[in-house]
This record gives sequence, structure tokens and C-alpha cells, in this order.
Amino acid sequence: MAEAHNSEGIQDHGDAQDPAQPILSAGIRTFTFPDDGVPVLRGIDLAFLPGTLTVVLGPSGSGKSTLGRLLAGWLPPGGGGTLHGFLELAGTRLHFGGADHPPGPRINPSAWGRQVGFVPQDPASVLSTVKATVAEELAFGLENAAVGRAAMTAAVEQTAALVGLTELLEHNPVQLSGGQLRRLAIGCAVIAGPRILIMDEPFASLDSAGSARLAGLVRKLVKRGTAVVIFSQVVDAPLLEAGTWLVLAEGSIRAGGTPAELLARPGMLPAGIRYPSGPSGPGQDEAPPTAPLKPHVQPRRQATPAAPALELRELSFSYGAGDRTPRRRIRRRGAAHEPQGTPPPEVLKGISLAVHAGEIVAVTGPNGAGKSTLLRHLNGLLRPTSGQILVGGVEIAGTPAGVVAQRVGLLFQQPRDQLFERTALREVHFGLDQLYSSTEAGERASTALETVGLAGSAHGHPVELPASSQRLLALATVLARNPSVLALDEPTVALDGNGLARLDAAVGAAAEEGAAVVLVTHDLTYARRMAHRVVTLEGGQLLP
Amino acid sequence: MRLNPLTSLALAGATAVITTAAASWPLSLAVAAAALALAVRGGIARRLLPAAAAVLVPLCLSLLIMHGLFFPEGWTVLVQWGPARITVEGLAFALERAAQIAAAVLALLVFSFSVHVPDLVAALSARGVQGRFAFVLASTLTLLPAVTSRVHRIRQAQESRGLVIRPGLLHRATAFRLQAVPLVLSLIEEAGTRAAALEARGFSNTGPRTSYRAVPDSRLQRTLRAVLVLAATAAVAARLWLGRAGT
Repeated sequence: MAEAHNSEGIQDHGDAQDPAQPILSAGIRTFTFPDDGVPVLRGIDLAFLPGTLTVVLGPSGSGKSTLGRLLAGWLPPGGGGTLHGFLELAGTRLHFGGADHPPGPRINPSAWGRQVGFVPQDPASVLSTVKATVAEELAFGLENAAVGRAAMTAAVEQTAALVGLTELLEHNPVQLSGGQLRRLAIGCAVIAGPRILIMDEPFASLDSAGSARLAGLVRKLVKRGTAVVIFSQVVDAPLLEAGTWLVLAEGSIRAGGTPAELLARPGMLPAGIRYPSGPSGPGQDEAPPTAPLKPHVQPRRQATPAAPALELRELSFSYGAGDRTPRRRIRRRGAAHEPQGTPPPEVLKGISLAVHAGEIVAVTGPNGAGKSTLLRHLNGLLRPTSGQILVGGVEIAGTPAGVVAQRVGLLFQQPRDQLFERTALREVHFGLDQLYSSTEAGERASTALETVGLAGSAHGHPVELPASSQRLLALATVLARNPSVLALDEPTVALDGNGLARLDAAVGAAAEEGAAVVLVTHDLTYARRMAHRVVTLEGGQLLP
Repeated sequence: MRLNPLTSLALAGATAVITTAAASWPLSLAVAAAALALAVRGGIARRLLPAAAAVLVPLCLSLLIMHGLFFPEGWTVLVQWGPARITVEGLAFALERAAQIAAAVLALLVFSFSVHVPDLVAALSARGVQGRFAFVLASTLTLLPAVTSRVHRIRQAQESRGLVIRPGLLHRATAFRLQAVPLVLSLIEEAGTRAAALEARGFSNTGPRTSYRAVPDSRLQRTLRAVLVLAATAAVAARLWLGRAGT
């Protein structure tokens, strides 16, 4: 590789590049998935110049991820779908479709990937799965390009510093939290110094430190001449720095301009786009699209003074001590890196918390603080090393998770981990017949789908739903069971504006009906808006 | 000293070959005992023993039945039922073969349970073994843990919706029925996405590649590997030559 890393770990692209010449451009007349009559993308013309930041905003289901993967070479026209139009990378134009090009050209994903870095919406899908450490995972692309070890080591260290993974270089990738995994995916995409970087919802699930670092990284890349393209359904604060905003709706570009131009004209952004929840956002003065839905009813502390709906008493946990399965999983894949004989660090240290019926408690904290680990204790998926968990005043130790699930509903951090059925309706219906008669189970499943706005997708395959709908479907599976304790892990991630409004309404309604809600989120503003009480998990301890 | 995975592979391979060629039961028993001792010391005995049993028990039983009962050269008859007779010579031969096979299997199992897969992949690709082959090898060795963790995740999702899994093999097997279809579908779906990611990261490049992981190696280990390969070859040659001279 001729390109050299500079002191900040970002490759310079040399002087050869013409700032007026786009690195990547596309003219998409139509793009249609196989076995699908209707094009998902149509009438899209794009050009990305060196040293620019372009943001493509669109609600869930608008075709963002499809467009992103198409541009990144992850969805090559041909096998992946039928493209009528062209893609042009670094001056080489490939025409697809039309009678005069029957087979069409083929994209070489590897050659494409050298110039185009891509961070998909699900960061876990980037992992090679055979690398034992974060450092090796970062180096995977460089190994394939035969970069020498000294250059590789330097690049790994610099990239880790840029994305905030220095402390985790020797960890096994399977042990990373959701936010840490996203940082790793970004690191893998930028380490080889692509000329254009495409990221799909990169700010989702990043804590504030991670967001600030990513914003800094984007600024640096743009300054060095990289074209950065971000697909988003949330107007995160760093996106305001973009030169161009494009609005994608129903598969085509509806509007374009500077952020100021688009924000000035009301109605330019579709309703599904979420406004910044950060204090510096432009939507702050106006009425936010999703008004605070904190239930007005106060939690029923007086009504049930003796037994909180959920109580944690001195809960401690460490992987490898209390629970069999996580320990096994980690040991097998990363055994050689764990120091022998030292006890595993405690993830949770003596946590006590009481949540009353009708109360919403938000748990916030940085990426990797143990928030998801805490939540998985509430329905018995993980068992504490020491301490007690009481649901409705009854200790759950020794009760199988499947039984605890009658009263505790858990929304997983990754909806894809929660969904396993063939249709959305079957998904919601799973397990309901144990609680209700078959007629009632069917009714409840349909009602839950309606509540989250997915009645129209009842017979669709969960995997094929857009990310926001997957999250809502997972929520429907929880709501249908009418739990007395609702445990939500990062419920806002991947939701667009419409989805967020559905979530808020559903959580508010559940709390008003007397459910105790514990929600884990990295988004402090959302936590303050939704919850009666916000606690912070840091260093394994709960801080008020 | 951390061994290069190729050195441990050469050690295990040469041990298996030499023990087989030597066909001496004291040596076989010594090697098997040494392999077991290594396994215990390395903390892999718990995983190794079931695997060894799965391979060796049926093999040794069939050896005993075949040679113990029907050994043509046997003349010291212990018991006889019609054409089947247990002879001292037959039993000795079967036990000798069993010891030989046990030694070879145990030596190779100790290697495969103790090798650090990323080290092996790095060592192989540093020697010009195709990236694809190294990846397939690594994926094969990590497939079981990956499938296990996927089943675990699906089961957690189902438990969160009321699936009660009682302890016991039968209950688990019944519950697995519910996880099998989602497992296969999700593995297929994931394989598609993973392929795109691997391609984009240059995995199918045909040119040279490098390795980030530094695998320990030394002149001593290189010499040792050469000596081991020579010794194994010599053992086989000697065995063939002796065999021919004997007849």
C-alpha cells in the first residue's frame, strides 16, 4: 500500500484527487429487489465530493439502508437486485440494466471496498467472527491488503484511539456492548483510509462520549478530503454541520439543501424524522414532534406501600461466577487472553432499587457500564452472584425464566435477538396461548400489532421489516403479554419519529395501567423526558 | 515457553506416526499416559476425555471383537463357541492395537484441544496457506461455539416469552425442537450479510496477505520441527524396511 498514515492515523489521499470531481456518484432510475414488483428506490441522483459531509435523512422504511448498501457495494446489482442506472466510483462509471447491457457489469466488492468504507446499521454484521481480539478484528482488512506488521500495529493503535477502543484492544469482540460494537464497526471501516465513508445510523446506541468522538472523527476525515455520507432518521446534533442534507422518502429524494435551508421551511422534513434530543438541537424551541408522555398519574407508592412491583436487593454479578452460560461462551472463544487465576471483575456491585407500580425508572450510563446485564436479571435470564430480585414481593431465585416471564416483559437491546418466528403475527403469538385461551391469545396478538402500528405487516417476515419496525414488533411481543414489570433495553435506538411516538404512547399507557417500567438508555434527555426517576449505572453501582 | 502451533502440530503428528510405526505396547501406553498427563496439566482433560471416549470406545470394542474372537494365528484357546474362540494371542494383538490407536488419538486430541485457533490461522497464512482455507479451518473450529451461542440467544428470547425449560436432557431436547428452525434460518440469513462484509474487507483478495498476530517462533522450534518430521519419516521407512526384511 502506497498510502502512508499520518500522525493522526488517517490516511492522506495524496494530491491526485480533484476536489470538483465526485468520488462516488449514482444515477438510480429504479432499483428493485428480486421477487419484488415495486422498485424500492427510484429517481435518485447523487454525487459525493471529496471533503464534504452529506446527510441523507429519511424515516424508517424510506430505503436508506438499501441505498447505503447499494452505494457501498454490499448489495451488488445483479444478485442483490435489479438496478437501472449507473454507479460511478473514482471516475469509472458502471451502467446497469437496459436492453443493451443484458448481463450488466459486476461490482468487485473488494476493489469497491478499498475506496468505500461502510458501517452498516447492525454493527455486528461487520465482524469476521474468527478474530480473537478487537485489535485483530481492526487489522483484518489490512491483513487482506498485505500491509506490513509495523504499519498495521500503528494503524490499529491510532484507529483505536480515534474511535475510543484503546482500552478494549485485547478484548474478544463477542464481549463488547452494543455501543462498543458500533465503535469497532466504524474503526474497521476507517482503518484502511477509504476515500468515501458511508455510515448507516452511526450515532444510534453511542453514549455522549462516543457521539462526540465520532463527530470529531467525521470532522477530521472531511478536513482530510474524505467524502462522508451519513444515513439517519434522527437529526443528531453533529449532523447540523453537514454541507448538504438530502431527504429520502418512499425511495426517492424529496428535497435537498443546507441544514439551515431545510430547517427553515416547515414541512420539508417528513414526520417520521426525529429531532435532536440534545440540548443544542434546533427543534428545542418548537414543540417537539413527540410531546413528553410521562404519565400524569403518580406512581402508586401509597396504594401498595408494602411491596414494590420490582425490588433489587444488594444485587451483584460477575460473568464467570454466577451464571454458567455467559462464562462458557466467553471462555471458549477468548480463553488464551484471560489471565489465569484472577477472579472475573464484578459487572454489578451491590445494586438496590425499588420500582413501584405505575412508576417509570430510567437507568442511564456509558456504553459498557452493564446496563443490559442488569436488565437481564429482572426476568431471570441472568442470575445474580449474590443478592435478591423480588417481583411483586416474591423472590425469583429458583423460578425458571419462562415462569418469571409471565410477570416481567423484557425488550432486548437487539430486536434481532428477540425475533425468531416466520411472520410478525406468529412472533407476537408465541407463548401467548400459555397465558390465555386461544381466542384471546389471537385477539391479544392482533391488538398488540395494532398498538405498534404493524397491523399491515402481520404476515410479513420479521427479518424483512425495517429496523424501526423490528423494534416495534419486539415491543408488541412484550406488550401482548401484559406484564406487570416492563424492562426495556435501549428502546429508542433504531426508532424513527413515528416509532418513537408509538413507543412513548405504549409505555405511558402501560404505566398508567399500573405496570412498573425500567428502561435502560444511553440517551439522558429521553430518560429525563420519559421517566419519573433517573438513575445512573457507573462502575457497577447505581448513582441517584 | 509458548509453542508455535506448527511446533505443537509437528509434535503431535510425529508422536502419532512414530507410535504407530513402532507398534510397541509399552511405548504406546507411555505416550497415552503422557498425553493424558499433559491434558490434565493444561486443564483440558474435562473436554478431552469425552471426545477421546467417543472415538476410542467403539474402536477398541470392535478391535476386541474382531481380533479377540477371530484371530487366525491364535492357538492358546481360552474359550470357544463354534468358530468363535478367544485366544491369548488374539487378545494380546487387540490390546496392542488398541493401545497404539489410543496413543495416536490422544496425542492428536491434546493438540486440537490446546491449540489457540487464531495462532494456528496466523501461522498458516504466514506460510502462504490461502486465506480462504485458513478461514474455513478457523470457522470450522469456531462453528460449534457460534451455533451454541446462537441457540442460547434464541432460547433466551423464547424464555422471555414464557418458554419454560426444565432441567434434564429430555426437556432440553424437546425445547431444542422449537429452536431448530429459527436457528437454521438465522444462520443462513447471517451468512449472507457476513459474506458481503467479508468481501468488502478484501477477504477474497488473491494476492499476498500479512498477519497482525505475531506467532512466537524461534530457531530452536524450527529445528525441532525439522527433526520431528525427519524422525517420523525415518520411523515409517524403518517400519516398511523391517516389514519387508521380515517376510
